[in-house]
Amino acid sequence: MSALTTQLKETPGALIECDDDPEAVYELLCAKGWSDGLPVIPPTPERVERMLGFCDRDLDQPVVRIPPRFGAATPVRVAANAVMAGCKPEYFPLVLLALEALAEEQYNLYGTQATTHPCTPMLIFNGPVAREVGLNSGHNVMGNYHRANAAIGRAVRLALVNIGAAIPGTGDMATAGTPAKFTFCVAENEAANPWQPLHVELGYPAEASTVTVVAAEGPHNVNDHESLSAEGILTMIAGTMATTGSNNAYYASQPVLAFGPEHAATVASGGFSKAQVKQWLFDHATIPMSRWSPDNIARRFRRRQAEQYANAPLDTPIHMWAKPDDLIVIVAGGAGKHSQYVPTFGVTRAATRALKRADGTLVKSVQELKRA
Amino acid sequence: MAQLTKRGVLAAVVCSDSFMKLGKAQSKVFGVPDLPLLEIKHPLGGLDMETVRARAEVALPQLLKFIKASRAQKTPETQA
Repeated sequence: MSALTTQLKETPGALIECDDDPEAVYELLCAKGWSDGLPVIPPTPERVERMLGFCDRDLDQPVVRIPPRFGAATPVRVAANAVMAGCKPEYFPLVLLALEALAEEQYNLYGTQATTHPCTPMLIFNGPVAREVGLNSGHNVMGNYHRANAAIGRAVRLALVNIGAAIPGTGDMATAGTPAKFTFCVAENEAANPWQPLHVELGYPAEASTVTVVAAEGPHNVNDHESLSAEGILTMIAGTMATTGSNNAYYASQPVLAFGPEHAATVASGGFSKAQVKQWLFDHATIPMSRWSPDNIARRFRRRQAEQYANAPLDTPIHMWAKPDDLIVIVAGGAGKHSQYVPTFGVTRAATRALKRADGTLVKSVQELKRA
Repeated sequence: MAQLTKRGVLAAVVCSDSFMKLGKAQSKVFGVPDLPLLEIKHPLGGLDMETVRARAEVALPQLLKFIKASRAQKTPETQA
């Protein structure tokens, strides 16, 4: 018997017996509420122990606490969720890294877990480890099929539910939620990025492996097969961004623009730096205040934001986010004339963390985290 | 509110009926399982002032009842 199995057997409630049958396990976990509704891999002690093969932390010390229950996310508990999600052991450091980023105060995990808004963590990975574990950054980057994207994002979501108690109607009060709550995990297509990748823009070395977490809605597509210029593509993107129902119009949060590589190439060849893209879209993704309903104008703008809008004329342009640099710009996806706009929750800021060893040095390969 | 309660300040939370489960769960999480939740009808957002007043009229008697009960509990200890 392994050391972990012995330890779990001595911990009340840590082990439950079940028939060794996939359907029985599925039924049991759904009945307990320990699921996202889809079948899972049974988290047996042996599988959990294998998952922990790529973890250099104390196995029973909380890495973070996950609200609203503030459950202790120990490596053992997170590993059980990673097994359930279908993770390979080498994905596990990225699951822990994402949870650490989500726990940073500016992200407001409590608010994003419990809100009525349909947000969920969008995980954006950069750097060599993302490539090493096979995270997809190309075709269908926000869709199905690729195991690392599916399982890492799902493991984080399962931890938010099973450890944090983000249970619909009790701890997760989303009015409708979003299909992105099953998983929303991408790698940036750094090879197709004509600008600096996100982590380098944020000050990390190119060889760092990072995750950036954003409290995101599902992606909104921008189809533009016709524009031949940078300004043309940016005009279409600005039009997709400018919607009156978006939280980003009211709060200082950070939406994401994921350029498809072809759109990015056209915009960059038009001489636009990433900073200029952000400024151009800030200036052009606007809506005149008159487009909101009279009650919204009276209550949200004239009263709640009186300092700015108490006496503003009705044609005052409302920007879709607070400051130009608040827009997060990445490049993701494969061939095709599409980009994705990802609006976000209101009271939240993105958080970025680099994958490091226990001694604080940057991890260049996930193999460095393999237990002896 | 949980922090105020722990410091001995009388505190209560106005909670709409749709959020009562969350309110009760969070009271336990924050170590104040008896934190009074003043239940009003959902929603509270997007209401005109007249409807907000009607909600307040439902919450206020609950608040007064809580304050009176708390005082009644405290009085014997104070006298002792």
